[in-house]
Amino acid sequence: MFRFISNIWGNFKEYFILAFLLILGLVLVSFNQKPGVKTVRAMAFGTFASVSSLVNDVIGISQIKTENSQLKEKNAELMLQLNKLREFGIENEELKGLLKLKDTVKYPLIPATIVAKSFSTSQNTVTLHGGNSSGIKPGMPVINDQGLIGIVYSTSDDYSIARTLRNRDLKLTVKDERSRIDGIMKWNGDDLVMVDVPKTYDIKPGDRIITSELSSLISIPVPIGVVMELSKVETGIFNEVRVKPLVNFAKAANVYVIGIIESKQKNQLELNFFNRK
Amino acid sequence: MRSDYILPIFLFFVLLLLQSTLVNLISISGIVPDLILILLVYYSIKNNQIFGMVLGFIFGLLFDLITGSLLGSSIISKTVCGFTAGYFSNENKRELYLNSYAFPLIVLLCGIIDSFVYSFFSSSNLNSSFVFLMMQQGVFPGVYTAGISLIVLFFRPKRSMR
Repeated sequence: MFRFISNIWGNFKEYFILAFLLILGLVLVSFNQKPGVKTVRAMAFGTFASVSSLVNDVIGISQIKTENSQLKEKNAELMLQLNKLREFGIENEELKGLLKLKDTVKYPLIPATIVAKSFSTSQNTVTLHGGNSSGIKPGMPVINDQGLIGIVYSTSDDYSIARTLRNRDLKLTVKDERSRIDGIMKWNGDDLVMVDVPKTYDIKPGDRIITSELSSLISIPVPIGVVMELSKVETGIFNEVRVKPLVNFAKAANVYVIGIIESKQKNQLELNFFNRK
Repeated sequence: MRSDYILPIFLFFVLLLLQSTLVNLISISGIVPDLILILLVYYSIKNNQIFGMVLGFIFGLLFDLITGSLLGSSIISKTVCGFTAGYFSNENKRELYLNSYAFPLIVLLCGIIDSFVYSFFSSSNLNSSFVFLMMQQGVFPGVYTAGISLIVLFFRPKRSMR
């Protein structure tokens, strides 16, 4: 009997080990949301990110010159816009004063730097230099001057990982800025798409897509992209709307985390998957 | 842990560092080569199938933990890759596979399997056709990785790297 088992093991041990490792891998999939795994993960990426931030700084030096000239140009444009906005602001204050309203909405912006980017096409993530110590918490939106980049998924003391819009696990409630139509947007592996949009809805190529106030993750309007085209679905009543993101994910380096936390009561009520504390 | 695993794991961290910082600069339409896969294939052929599988498991585990991707997805894809590459770990032909253009072809095969298993496993997009998914997420990254693996042929150390 022992010889028989020994023979079997000798002939097929590679397959047994493969099966064992694959089963172990599958078991680990179910451990993704365990607090212990999250702690280990935070420690692992925190340690690695501190090293990669050093490398990133060295690489960044060569890009600074180009970025600097671009920023100067942008600065000039923004200065002109700012002037206009100041005018509008003064006018706005006057009008609000007349209406006895106060602007109470302020979004704290936490600066952070991208120190590493994952290369997966389906689970795109970025590692940010900035974590719990900077006030960053899971669920906070990450933006840059172009628009929404993603949402913080996991944090350690000094680093955090954010799921970008190019991550299949990130689904957002968005709306068409022009027609105010809401929809669910996700990454399908190739494009950002708004799914299950009834064909009768008024969405046209060129429309800007922003986050919807209905979203339990980001309820402030943050630009996301522009409608490229509506898929030509022959059958059914739904369209798929392809959206071109405003953010260039490959070039994004300096970002801001919006330090907003949605209402805990609202989150619990809506069964939001991020358990904010 | 056997000492054979120490150097590959050290190299894993070095390559992951390059992968997360420099490699993005050479991406083509979002497709990037997988340096870790090249390392895995190299060591799987260099040693044996079991070594390849275990190393694939370790690489996948570390990768999932560090990059924040779904824990288990890389573990499975890299373990399967180590298993596949290990098939070419024949004692008589080992040097031939490592020193000839067969190496990029093995990397291509493993790259296709890795990309496909990883993307399919992590989240399948049922709206895309199977062939399209295979091309977009399996073949293209695999071809790019195989192309980059040619570097190994030119820079492979003359002495055994264990």
